[in-house]
This record gives sequence, C-alpha cells and structure tokens, in this order.
Amino acid sequence: MARLSFFKGGIALGKYIFRRILEALPVVIGVSILVFTLVRLIPGDPATVLLGERASPENVAALRERLGLNRSLPEQYFIWIGNILQGDLGTTIRGNVPIAAEIQRRFPATIELSLSALFLATVLGVPIGVISALRRNSWIDTLSMFFALFGVSIPVFVLGLLLIFLFGVQLSLFPFVSRLDSGVEVQAITGLYVIDSVLTGNWVGFWDALEHLVLPTLTLMTIPLAIIARITRSAMLEVLNQDYIRTAYAKGLPGSMVIRRHALRNALLPVVTIIGLQLGALLSGAVLTETIFSWPGIGKWLFDNIIARDYPIIQAVTLLIAMIYVVVNLAVDILYTFIDPRVRNA
Amino acid sequence: MKLLQKFSLMAVLMALLVVPAFAQDPITFTFGEFGNPVQLDPAVVTDGISFRVTRQGCESLLEFEGGTTVPGPGLATSWEQSEDGLTWTFQLVEGATFHDGTPFNAEAVVFNFNRWRDTSNPYHFAEQTFEYYEAQFNGYDDDSIITNVEATGDFEVTFTLAQPMGAFLNNLAMPMFAISSPAAIEANGANYGTPEVGYVCTGPFRFVSWESDVQVVLERFAEYWGEFSGNVDRVVLRVIPDNAARFAALQNGEIDGFEQPNVEDIATIEASEDLYIQLRPSFNTFYLAFNYRIREFRDPLVREAFTLSIDRQAIVDAFYVEGAVPASTMNPPTIGIGFNPDIQQTFDPVRARELLAQAGFPDGLSEVNVLAVDENGMVTDEVAETIPVRLYYMPVVRPYNPDGEGIAEAMASMMAEAGINVELASAGDWATYLGERANGNLLGLYQLGWTGDNGDPDNFIGYFFSGVGNPLPREGFYQNTALADLLLTARTGTDRDTRNTQYQEAEGLLAADFARIFVAHGPVPLAFRSRVTNYITSPLGTELFKNITITE
Repeated sequence: MARLSFFKGGIALGKYIFRRILEALPVVIGVSILVFTLVRLIPGDPATVLLGERASPENVAALRERLGLNRSLPEQYFIWIGNILQGDLGTTIRGNVPIAAEIQRRFPATIELSLSALFLATVLGVPIGVISALRRNSWIDTLSMFFALFGVSIPVFVLGLLLIFLFGVQLSLFPFVSRLDSGVEVQAITGLYVIDSVLTGNWVGFWDALEHLVLPTLTLMTIPLAIIARITRSAMLEVLNQDYIRTAYAKGLPGSMVIRRHALRNALLPVVTIIGLQLGALLSGAVLTETIFSWPGIGKWLFDNIIARDYPIIQAVTLLIAMIYVVVNLAVDILYTFIDPRVRNA
Repeated sequence: MKLLQKFSLMAVLMALLVVPAFAQDPITFTFGEFGNPVQLDPAVVTDGISFRVTRQGCESLLEFEGGTTVPGPGLATSWEQSEDGLTWTFQLVEGATFHDGTPFNAEAVVFNFNRWRDTSNPYHFAEQTFEYYEAQFNGYDDDSIITNVEATGDFEVTFTLAQPMGAFLNNLAMPMFAISSPAAIEANGANYGTPEVGYVCTGPFRFVSWESDVQVVLERFAEYWGEFSGNVDRVVLRVIPDNAARFAALQNGEIDGFEQPNVEDIATIEASEDLYIQLRPSFNTFYLAFNYRIREFRDPLVREAFTLSIDRQAIVDAFYVEGAVPASTMNPPTIGIGFNPDIQQTFDPVRARELLAQAGFPDGLSEVNVLAVDENGMVTDEVAETIPVRLYYMPVVRPYNPDGEGIAEAMASMMAEAGINVELASAGDWATYLGERANGNLLGLYQLGWTGDNGDPDNFIGYFFSGVGNPLPREGFYQNTALADLLLTARTGTDRDTRNTQYQEAEGLLAADFARIFVAHGPVPLAFRSRVTNYITSPLGTELFKNITITE
C-alpha cells in the first residue's frame, strides 16, 4: 500500500516536472528574442568597438558586412537560433574563439565560487536566523541582525579590496588573484578545482585552489548570508507564533524537537525560495567579485562583452542564465513538494 | 673497502646537495594585464594587450630601435631602395628558425605578405581581417600599394610598390607585420593565433599556453637567432582586471610590473623601496575637435577664441603624470619627423573675449546653431536646431586622456572665463561615443586622441587630414584641401628631410586654421618591483622583455 502510494506520488511528481519544463520553454524562447533585440538596440556595435579611434563609417560598414550584421534582424535571429538548435553557439567576434568551449571553461569557475559562497551563507545564515528568532531582542539577535544589515549594505568592491589589503598584502595569508597560482595546475574533470584536485590526488592543487577560494568566497557570501539570516529569522518568528507550536509544546514535546520538526520545517519554505533565488543570482556571475579577484568566471566575461558589444557571447551567456533561473526555480519548486506535499497537488 | 664505502656515501650525499642547485626554478617575469589578448596571430589583432604578447615572440622585417620610433634592422639586416622609390630589396638574416623548427627564409616572408595582401590566397581566411594591412598599405589586391613580393634569393626578398611610400620602412617595423611560420598557418588554418595554438614565429620567447582571463605563458626560445641581453626564462602575462587589485598584486610580489597604475597610487609606489615607476615617453595627442555642423564653429575667429581659452599647462599639471607636456600640434615631439616646435598655442582669455566680440558675440557664446545634413551626408546652410554649446567627454581612460570628465569640467570653467558657457555632455559608453563620433553626431566640441602606431607622421597628422573627397563625418566634417594635398604629397615622398619639412608645414596650416584644440601629450607610467631592471620603454608601447634582467 505504502509502495503504491509512493509510486503514484512518483508519477504525479514526474507529470509535475514535465509540465513545468513545458511551461519553461516559452520563457526561454521569449528571453532569447528579448536579448537578441535588446543588445542590438544599444547604440554602438561590435564593428565600432573593434575599430576604436580608427572607426569611420566606411570601415565600420565593411566590418559589419563581414560579421553579418547588415542582414535583417529576423534573418540574423533565425540563423542564430538555428545554429543553437544544432548545438553551435558560434564564435566570438573578437578573436574568433568558439563560445561553447569558453563557457565550458568559465562556467565551472562561477559554479565553484557560487556554491562555496552559498554553502557557507546557508550553514551560517540558517542557524543565525533560528537563534535570533528564538532569542528575540536579546544581544545575540541585535548583534547578528546588525551584521546582517552590514552585510547587505557594504559595497562588494569595498569589502573585497579591504580583504585583499588586509589578508592579501599586509598579512600575506591568502592569495587574491585568479583560481590557482601561476605555476600550479589542476587537471580539469568537473572544472571545480577543489573537487578535481581531490579526484586526481593533487594535494598541492587542492590547497592552492582552496586558498584562492577563501577571500572571494568571504566577499561573495556576505549578501546571501545576510539575506538568508534575516529571512530565516522572520519566517521562524511567524511560525513560532502559530497555534500548532503552542499545541506541540502543550503536548510536552521537548523544545528542540518542536523547533526542528514543527517550526523549522515550516519556516524553511521561504528560506528555500530565497536560497534558490540567491543561487540563480550567484550562478549568473558576480561581476564585481570576479573582477576584483581576477576570477575567470562567467559574470565578468559577460560584462566585458556587453561593453565590447560581442553579440554572440552576450546572447549565449544570457540564454544560459535564463536557463539557470528556470532550472533553479524548478528545483526549488520540486523541493517544495518534499517540504510541503500539498504543493504537488495544487 | 671501508674508505671506498665512505667516499661513495659522501659522493651520493654531495650529489643530493648539488642537484637542487642545478634544477633551479626558471627566472620568471610576471606582468599584470587588465584584460585578455584578443588573438595571437599578430596580423589580425589591433589591441595593445595582444601585441604585448606577440611582440615577445614575433619579429618583423624591421624593428624600432630601442626606445625610439626609428626603424632599424630586424629579420632584414639591410635594404636598398630603387631610384624611383618603387622597388625595395631586403637582405634577410640567415640561420633564424621558427619556434616549430622550420627555417626562416625569403619564401616565408613572401608567404606572409601574400596571405595578407591577396584575398584569394587560401590562407586569407574569411573569418579574419588583416585590418592593419588594409590600413597601412591602402587595401588588398589591386588597391594594395605593395603589388608584388618576390623571393629573389634564399635570403633576399624584393617588394614592388605601386607608388613610392614615405612610411614604408616604418610600416614594415610594425608588430602586426611580424612573420609567422608558414607551416604553422598551413597546419592550423584560421585557428592560428587562438588560445589552442598561439603564435609560431622566430622571436626570443615561444608560446606555451593561454588560458583566457587567467594568463598567457611564454618561455625562452633556446634556438633564438638574435641577441638576448636579459635573463628571463619564462614570461607570464597574468590577467588582473581591477586596477587596485593589480597594484596589491605588485605590492605582495604576485606580479613584477604593470602598466598605468592609478595616479593616486604613484606616490605610494615612489615612496616604496621595493617598487618604482618608469615612464614610457608619450607618443600620443589629446585634442578637442570642433564639429563643423555647428555654424559658429565655421568661423576661424570663434575657433581661435576657444583655443585661447584653454590653459593647457594647468590641465597637464592637474590631471597628468609627471612628464606630460601641453600640446600645440597634432604630431607629438617624440615623432621621428614632422614635429613643428615653432607652433605654440597660448592661453589668453582676454584676447579670446575680444575675438568672440569680433565674431559677433560681444556677450559671449552660450547657444549655437546646428546645420542640417542632406541625403548625401553633406552639411547644408540650413539651420536645423539651436542647442547649448556642448563639450562631449570620453567615458574611458586613455594615456592621452586620464580623466575625460574631470578635464572637461576644468575646461568648462576656463571657457567660462572667456565668456563661453559650455554644457558637459556624455554620449554613453565607449562604443556609443565612438559610433556617434564616426557618424559626425557629437554636435559640439568633443574629446578624442590618438596614439601613433608606427612612428611616421602619415600615421599621425596624415591619418586625420588627408581626405580629399567629401568632408569626413568622423573628423567633424572638417576639410582643408591645401592641407590634404600637402599630406598626400608627403605620403609618397621618399626623402626624409623633405618629408620632415612638408609635415611641419602641414602643422602650420592646421594651426593657422585653429582646426583643432590640441591639449596634451601624456606619458604612460609603468610600475615595477625593484628586482626588475633594464626594462627599456618604447614610445610605441611595444617593449621587449628579452632585455629585462631580474635581480634577486
């Protein structure tokens, strides 16, 4: 009986995921059209940037023709989307390098940094939020919420440069340039160097990669940490005021069990949402953190190429980001169904 | 026996002690870059970062002599020009090899030039543009000034030109005309120069690896044919986009040097025992251009008034690093020929006011009339609109313009003294700014500048003012036929002294017309750790790392 219901639940979940994927398709297509049109609406084009001070209408026109930018917009769009459906993301305008290979190389750098920042932000943020809620208005609450406010308020580049100056230059404790020291190499398997170095038993690479992660992670995690802590706190406060919590206490359940099983589980719903949103935001690249720490990720790359108007890169990366959001949102919604089964049937 | 054992043991121990001394780490010079190279095929790139890499490994027929803009021997050891200036014969160095082991010879030179010049050449790939070839030699195929390149011996190559070309030797010394290995281009096709392949040339450092947004690694080429005066074994060009982080990386020894530190960090560097600043002589000019669609700007009196209203020395003192000089001409003082020291623009706001009054603006100037453009892009006499006097400022930092907005603010207050009320205007980001400038849409005064590519005045004043067709929108519709004729004559001249005089005269015509407001020539500061010695700067910005000596 239990197995059957589990099986039925599995089918329902499968249907649910399938429906959600179908719903996501128009979103991705819409984003692709929007991005395609928007990048072309910004004045100035790649030909002008490439030619710089030497740009004249004649040589800009010649270069536009070579880059295929003189075709009609719909024609350009269908050529691009046609190539994407065949798995070809195209090549960069500057340098003629295949974009897929570049994404494959840069995206793991962003993933590694994002996951490490979000992991720390979650394992610190949730307990801080819970404790603050339980000890509401105590000095712990005031202190942690002060730091949470500080975390969202301090500009990333100020914090990053501060950490570099303190821990990189004055104390020489941690490196702050790129993912590895210049002479150190890690054989890429997943592209996440900390994992790859363990897989290949490269301990020099492991420590080096880990050291390089410290400062950018600290910089990048402050905002998610602050947000997660605050959301956890307010969600917990709300749940703690519910009748069923009072009932649970009245039944004589130990406090820790009330908090873990009844309060936290119900408070997690908004927290999971916010973690998902943060993950989406982090995976789309952290331009400032990546710039300050010379982190070869996707955010800085996208930013540079918006400036350079390298259309194929902007289009490919934005599409990737849109898909990340769709996938993360989907994952969050699926997580909901585990936390709160009512969602599945809604 | 025991004695023998003892000796053996000692020998082994000594060997263990000695081995590490032999297996020393290579001497590495690490340079901090703010971005990536675009490509490493020197013939297709146009940006400074790419050239900084290719220059270390790729050599041209001629090379600019250390620290100057004068071309001297490179892969060609000597050369002769025919009487009519149409034929040039070069003797090439013997015994040079490419990094892939193939020999350098006259055929390799012919291969490279034919690849660039001839659009039907199988190695003139559709994905690539040999932009500098097109610009410096007037185009491809039949347009090309080079009409034939022939191997007239194993180590002799002869160029035939369609017309004499004053800047020919300077052009050949440019880093984009470096000779790549024909075998490497044949093997890699359009992938030559990408991160996978890099460059394959004859120079002192060979390509090892390039990880985009991380670093480019080069190593000393053991079979290098030429002189290698430094001691660097390995070159790392590390990408550190943020200026403050780059400075921090210099402070903690992660990098040995970088270009253009923030002006506010220079004092810290100079005060530090471990660091120092070296200035690259300026080979650039910062100017304000008039857009001639503004009717008032067509009056030379008004242009002169604007020119007199700017205190160049004050701007240089306030915004530039030490070593910058006020500019009065397009060609900078460091140019080989064509600098005219007699032209000196002055600062005289009182005279500026008088001139404005003479021009019919006794109360000064706050508004101007924009002339309409017809369907052929020609400026008409019809007034399209009346707008405030605008001063467009650049959104990016350049060696010639360290602070576009700041300088524009300073200029606006100087102009106000002379009775000119300008409104500062931004045209968006750099791409937009350049696009609007190219189309003649920056309706007012606008900032721009130029950094010379090859040390010849044809690539300085000649680039801007030799148009003889319709007035160019990119030059704010300015046209001066006498000036253009003179520049075109100088372009095809072959006598250095005559050309020098012609370009000096051209500067005179430009100055008499008050066609542009030249502001400053700015040097480029480079910051180094003190272990780096013998870094020889070049006004052209293409320094060779083979001269560097690292001292510990």
